[in-house]
Amino acid sequence: MSHSPVSPIRAPLVEGHKTYHQITEDLSTPTEKRPNAAWWGAFAVALTFLTIGVICIVLTIWDGITEWNLNRTIGWGWDITNFVWWIGIGHAGTLISAILLLFRQKWRTGVNRAAEAMTIFAVMCAALFPAIHVGRIWVVFFFFPYPNSRGPLWPNFNSPLLWDLFAISTYFTVSLLFWYTGLVPDFATLRDRSKGLRRKMYNFVSFGWTGSAKHWQRHESLSLVLAGLATPLVLSVHTIVSFDFATSVIPGWHTTIFPPYFVAGAIFSGFAMVQTLMVITRKVLNLKQYITLEHIESMNKVILLTGTIVGVAYLTELFISWYSGYIYEQFAFFNRALGPYWWSYFGMMLCNVISPQLFWSKKIRRSVWWTFFMSIFVNIGMWFERFVIIATTLARDYLPSSWSYYSPSWVEIGIFLGTLGIFFTFYLLFTRLAPVVAVAEIKHILKSAGDQYIGKDAHHHHSSEITQES
Amino acid sequence: MANHKDVLFGLYSDEEVLLKAVKKAKAAHLDIMDVFTPFPVHGLDEALDLKESRLHIVGFIFGLIGSLTAFLGMTWIFTDDWPIIIGGKPYWSVPAFIPITFELTVLFASIGMVVVFYVIGGLGPGVTNPTLDDRITDDKFCIAFDQHGMSDKDIDKVKSFLKDSGAEEIHTKTI
Amino acid sequence: MNTFTFERSQRMFLGTLMGIGLLCAIILLLQHDPLKARFWSDFLHNSVFFSGIAVMALFFMGASITGMAGWYTVFKRVWESFSLFLIVGIIFMIILGLGNYLGFHHLYHWNDAETVADDVLLKGKSHFLNKGWYLLGTIVIMGGWIYFARKLRALSLEEDQDPGHDFEKHRKMRVWAAAVLPFIGFSSAAVIWLWVMSVDPHWYSTLFAWYSAASWFVAMVAMTIMIIGYLQSKGYYPEFNRDHLHDLGKFLFAFSIFWTYLWFSQFMLIWYGNVGEETTYFFTRRDHYPVLFYGNLVINFVLPFLILLRNDTKRKLGTMFFVSGLVFFGHWIDYFLMIKPGVLHTTQALSAAGEDHGSHAIAAGFGMPGFLEIGMMLGFLGLFIYMVFWQLSKASLIPKNDPYLAESLHHHV
Repeated sequence: MSHSPVSPIRAPLVEGHKTYHQITEDLSTPTEKRPNAAWWGAFAVALTFLTIGVICIVLTIWDGITEWNLNRTIGWGWDITNFVWWIGIGHAGTLISAILLLFRQKWRTGVNRAAEAMTIFAVMCAALFPAIHVGRIWVVFFFFPYPNSRGPLWPNFNSPLLWDLFAISTYFTVSLLFWYTGLVPDFATLRDRSKGLRRKMYNFVSFGWTGSAKHWQRHESLSLVLAGLATPLVLSVHTIVSFDFATSVIPGWHTTIFPPYFVAGAIFSGFAMVQTLMVITRKVLNLKQYITLEHIESMNKVILLTGTIVGVAYLTELFISWYSGYIYEQFAFFNRALGPYWWSYFGMMLCNVISPQLFWSKKIRRSVWWTFFMSIFVNIGMWFERFVIIATTLARDYLPSSWSYYSPSWVEIGIFLGTLGIFFTFYLLFTRLAPVVAVAEIKHILKSAGDQYIGKDAHHHHSSEITQES
Repeated sequence: MANHKDVLFGLYSDEEVLLKAVKKAKAAHLDIMDVFTPFPVHGLDEALDLKESRLHIVGFIFGLIGSLTAFLGMTWIFTDDWPIIIGGKPYWSVPAFIPITFELTVLFASIGMVVVFYVIGGLGPGVTNPTLDDRITDDKFCIAFDQHGMSDKDIDKVKSFLKDSGAEEIHTKTI
Repeated sequence: MNTFTFERSQRMFLGTLMGIGLLCAIILLLQHDPLKARFWSDFLHNSVFFSGIAVMALFFMGASITGMAGWYTVFKRVWESFSLFLIVGIIFMIILGLGNYLGFHHLYHWNDAETVADDVLLKGKSHFLNKGWYLLGTIVIMGGWIYFARKLRALSLEEDQDPGHDFEKHRKMRVWAAAVLPFIGFSSAAVIWLWVMSVDPHWYSTLFAWYSAASWFVAMVAMTIMIIGYLQSKGYYPEFNRDHLHDLGKFLFAFSIFWTYLWFSQFMLIWYGNVGEETTYFFTRRDHYPVLFYGNLVINFVLPFLILLRNDTKRKLGTMFFVSGLVFFGHWIDYFLMIKPGVLHTTQALSAAGEDHGSHAIAAGFGMPGFLEIGMMLGFLGLFIYMVFWQLSKASLIPKNDPYLAESLHHHV
């Protein structure tokens, strides 16, 4: 059986004429070598941030929400902004693995593993905020519906905040299952390369994987169905986050475009974070032949696309607020753009809509430096977007006598830095414990995407050459 | 493992060679015990006549259980167990039940499928299944035969088949 | 059979469909109704619906080229032909635009000077909702779409002659394809507000444009399946295999769910917020059009979901043809439900001029599509297919020099 033909216009996704064994070597060694100074440095910084976060969280729990600068009208500030921001970032992993799988975008293979890991860590960071925001973290299990001695008294199933709880727990669980199921064969690869205690450890986590044909068949079927389930799931999660706002009757929040617009924004920021991590990872772990410029360019295209979708949504909101003829709606948007928080609206527009347009240039799309800076820019812009939606709206609601200006306390800033610390600590550990690029999947696409088979440097005698007759 | 098996196996280093070998073995009515590969090989399940996986049916059933649990549960709680008017909406507010119903459908289907996948495959945390060669998870493709009940002649036949079909190494191992 | 011959019998059949449409139009125009509201609302409904299918074909082609999709190349010419229907669509929309000036029709309440003078909201919106913008917006935006459609088509035909060094033609096509995406993204919203949302001039919803575009999109995929199914039955497109069908089926399935998602988001948020100005839209539809309101969800979500859930059904041409017909009709109903209640309200307000205000008696052809509505739809359908076949007959059915053709020919899942 020969492979299906590959269009001559496609660029290779695995460079350096790799053999299967070389792929195993290249992708396993980062977990087997001792980490270098750069890794230790990064780890120390991440741990420091994490410590700051822990201190601030302990303070918040000890003293209560009074440690934050929230007040009667501004009940949601940096906490919910950060929550939405992290959840958004947590969308790229499942998107890359699930939706791009269904759309047959082969380039997802180089980045899906790391993106899925990132998803899980980002969702963990996000889940922290509602938990500490409620004030009494020791009774946080009251969130869940379970038969209890209080009546039984149930949570409010009509509340979007409870929907959110279900959405995020489901999303976290399914992402974890999806990610781990993909990791099992790769853990088996690590197991078979090691000895002693390390072998025992990887034996435990590889679940006794042997690579039997029947197992692979079921594994593929499972991945496909999970991808099918995860696709609507990933849409539902940010949709439900947007319901937290849109089901209310606050001008600027009550708008029907929120669900798909939040999803597009989530994908946008998620890809930006993947870019930030990938640009560094491919350099530090020497994976440039697996996470190629082709991958980076494709992700930049997604950033351009979703940035523009978000732009359409911003303008739609702006236009409809005028069109509505409803003065409160009109004021909400006037206030966003020209009120006391004008700088955040400006930052949002600049970073999310205007600057990604640079990616129309192929040269910029393929430049690692530009990519890195742009990804940071987008991360900032998407943080601003949530800040604009949350703080700006609450600071100027219906009653002018309760208008105020909110800025965070150092504890709130500290918790945000803390979540960055958690995120990077976990990510750095992940790069040492598991292959950052999916080993088996890269081998699977080698013959249709390796540069010895397709593209300019291909050996032209090979079977994957194009035949025009059918 | 209570009963040990003597396994005769050949290692190949290319999946296309392996696939041809499997087809040849099937044509020659050789009784393949199993085939082990480092990644899923396209077309191998058909070559081995493996039945189509029915895991998606498992997912469907679990999903259905999830939908019903969520929807009927909320219906019972809000109309019978503790009816309460929220935001002027009726007790039985179907649109408000949709999000949780959807989430639990996905949650049940995913967990159900993954658990079934590991259980029927004999896989799980800490399970140690015997492996034939460490390179099978690296770059070797393996066709394995169970020697149990084979005469010496049969064994020679299998060995020569392995050799002729492109196996680079032939070993026996007791597992 | 790489070239399509537009046979006489096909032309006769499609001509008959158009004849039926014309006949229905004449009957409607002869009816005793000073505003001719039934005719004009049918005309608007079908013009918007079929133009939308054309522009979604253009959009999806742009997205596929940009996303480097290979699988669809075999039947790319079908989408090219769909997109060129815009040339006919613009004529209809210009007629409607001129109608605002010349008073052919009274579809839009905002076009009635007396009403606007007494209505603060409509006065506020009049910078956007006015006949000048309507006509200009339609011409500029649809003109832009046509420009892109013709450009992509021209490059595709040139590629048949000579792909150029290192797929030069295709690389050029990529630039145009990428540019068409934001253009349609921004502009489709503007015309949907003008053409459709403004028949209920007081009501607004930010999601409306994406929701109705999703409806067009599903109808477009359904139409593609039906057209290719017919062509295959005539022996064309032997290269179109079960896997291509399967993929189109997946799109039909996925986007039916996506449409439902948008429907639910819009409905649920308005239901939950419970703001009177917004809920009136759904109250009207639920209370006065219950069959269509719930039927819309059954035809466009429940049935395609249940039928297409299994993979086998997505691989059977007969089943797929049936489901496509169903959802095609379903989305036509969806547009019926977007347009008719608003027009009816306007008509009643204008013709009663205060006397009988508030009567909700539903005139014939407004509550439920009657034979004449179906007839008008068949007329437009005939015209649409006629134009598609005519375009198909002008070039080879398969873009033989497309760099992705080999992938598409050997497409298997």
